[in-house]
Amino acid sequence: MSRIAGLIAGVALSVAPLSQAQTDVQRGEQLFTALCSAYCHGRDPGKREAPYLFDCEWLHGGSEEEIFATVSNGVPDTRMVSFGGKLPNGDDDIRNLVSFLMANSGCQE
Amino acid sequence: MSDPCKAIASSLAAIICLATVPATGQEEMQVEYDVVEMPSHWVAPAPTGKGAGPVTEEMLRKSGSYTDKWLQYHGDDRGYRHSPIKALTPEKVKNLRLAGLLPTGTLGQQEVSPVVYDGIIYVTTSYNRLFALESATGKTLWRYDHQNPKDLRLCCGPPNRGVAIYGNTVLMATLDAHLLAFDRRTGALLWNRKMADYDKGYSATSAPLIVKGMAVIGIAGGEFGVRGFFDAYDVKTGELVWRHYTVPAAGEPGVETWAGESWKTGGAPAWTTGLYDAETDTLFWTTGNPSPDWNGDSRKGDNLYSNSLLAVEPETGKLKWHFQFTPHDLWDYDGNTHIFLLDFKQGNKVHKVVAQPNRNGYFYVIDRQSGEFLRGNAYLEQVNWATLDAKGRPIVSPHALPTESPTERVCPSNAGGINGAWTAAYNPDLNLAFIPAMEACSQFQKGLAIYMEGLPYTGGTFIQVDGRNKIAYGHITAYDVAKGEVSWRYHDPFPVSAGALSTAGGVVFSGSNSGAIALDARSGEKIWSFNLGAPIRSQPIAWQEDGKTYVAYGAGDSPSLAAMFGAPTHTSDGGLFAVFVLE
Repeated sequence: MSRIAGLIAGVALSVAPLSQAQTDVQRGEQLFTALCSAYCHGRDPGKREAPYLFDCEWLHGGSEEEIFATVSNGVPDTRMVSFGGKLPNGDDDIRNLVSFLMANSGCQE
Repeated sequence: MSDPCKAIASSLAAIICLATVPATGQEEMQVEYDVVEMPSHWVAPAPTGKGAGPVTEEMLRKSGSYTDKWLQYHGDDRGYRHSPIKALTPEKVKNLRLAGLLPTGTLGQQEVSPVVYDGIIYVTTSYNRLFALESATGKTLWRYDHQNPKDLRLCCGPPNRGVAIYGNTVLMATLDAHLLAFDRRTGALLWNRKMADYDKGYSATSAPLIVKGMAVIGIAGGEFGVRGFFDAYDVKTGELVWRHYTVPAAGEPGVETWAGESWKTGGAPAWTTGLYDAETDTLFWTTGNPSPDWNGDSRKGDNLYSNSLLAVEPETGKLKWHFQFTPHDLWDYDGNTHIFLLDFKQGNKVHKVVAQPNRNGYFYVIDRQSGEFLRGNAYLEQVNWATLDAKGRPIVSPHALPTESPTERVCPSNAGGINGAWTAAYNPDLNLAFIPAMEACSQFQKGLAIYMEGLPYTGGTFIQVDGRNKIAYGHITAYDVAKGEVSWRYHDPFPVSAGALSTAGGVVFSGSNSGAIALDARSGEKIWSFNLGAPIRSQPIAWQEDGKTYVAYGAGDSPSLAAMFGAPTHTSDGGLFAVFVLE
């Protein structure tokens, strides 16, 4: 029963787990630098409207799938817009971004 | 049965809702609920004010001469923000006491330069609330709260720098790129024009400028790859008279300074308030950075008319001449900081000039009839990104270029110096310009340049290293324009990002992270301060009424912006408007 549930869960996820996909952390950093940092999330801790992403406090979940969903869908009623379907390499680029965030996350410590 | 309260909870109406309560077993009890629609526009039932009549073009062109009114963002047509009130002297200002407060009810920075006319103070707040207050009592006469969309495209907080006033109309530009006109006595909405689609990255934050019956207003969006412009609207009808694009299109002069089609997302926003020079019948407007900010690979060339001073025909918007401060910008050094119109002697000749402390750290003097560069000297203590050649063109230091793995500390930071978000002032008796400034150097990191409509298009980022290392500071500097040198500096432990007001009595009003301050204009000595509990980001003004002298400030900052400037971020959110009185 649990194996079937696991299979269904795997199919329901439209995202291939990062550990199974090839991700490019360096490209993820380039994307973060270009799109997320400057007047939004930044690289330094400190209170900002757009949260600091390199501690271990995730407002909308800190798993790979949750971060992917937040970037892809945006956060309604905030200035975090959706990036799904917009980056040059589509979902692969979002995965690259997520892999960069997780590689530099405060959760590693 | 689904809960009807949940369905309407997401609307803007305030709801008093008693939920449908399921009783035990199968029954559900119906309970009454009220839906209370909260208003967002309070119109006065009868005209307010003291019956002063319409504001005329003549009054605006002489606005710097009045003690009983404050009519323009820059104080007058020359950009001086110099009140003729003699009572505001270094000896007397210590007697200023708090007369009234208004909470704005909004977060983010308060950058307003209030307007005072006919016994009414017009105050705009972050997120575009517009209050008309009775100047003698602080009572709210009418009020409008603009309903902005939740997904605004803003780089740098939600400010508004004030209304323009003309005739019996006040006008406010909004964060979703509209221009609105109201009856100044009742607050009735006269017209509402969409300037651009906010979801393509456009917004508007400045006070319009009135010239020849038109309201001139520029848009923001240099971090979103917009194509910059400023517009002139007929105040009576709201009709667009002309639009001046700050980035030329294919086939237009200047487009050769943009590689390929990079002009289409060229930026060069026009988000600050210009000046009208009646003497030469010229409208001066300034522009900001080319897009994307920190990666110039796709836009090789000087990128006209980004970071430029533009001299324009007021009736048509047609360009007469330009001077570009920072060609092919890679640092976000918007060239749209405060400008002054002065007479400047060089050798035997007296030039009519535009003088500007630029975001890039240099104080420029430009002949305002020819556009010729006359002089450029550093007004900051730390400038290392470039020197200027004999024609005022930057010679860029190689170390200042953005890289993927930056190590170099570049001064000034992306935010400047002085910044277009606040004003400077000038005392013509002392020939001193007062410049509130930040000393906070940053690193510049190059990233990918990816344009997606409505999303940030910056191609890189800044890293506010001086803030991180707690060495960022600020000052209010008195700059002797004739000599081209600093006369005095008032140092502050944190970057200064407040506007300035000069008085004929010899005082400079400005602010800091710790509140409102007043300095002796001759010495820079601090003679008064008042902690309003929040940093000052606004443009102070002064006026007299019924024998009393008033000074007004907005207070409140955006912690995000403070972080970006290298300033403390612990201060409470929330805006205030404060009036001080000298009796």
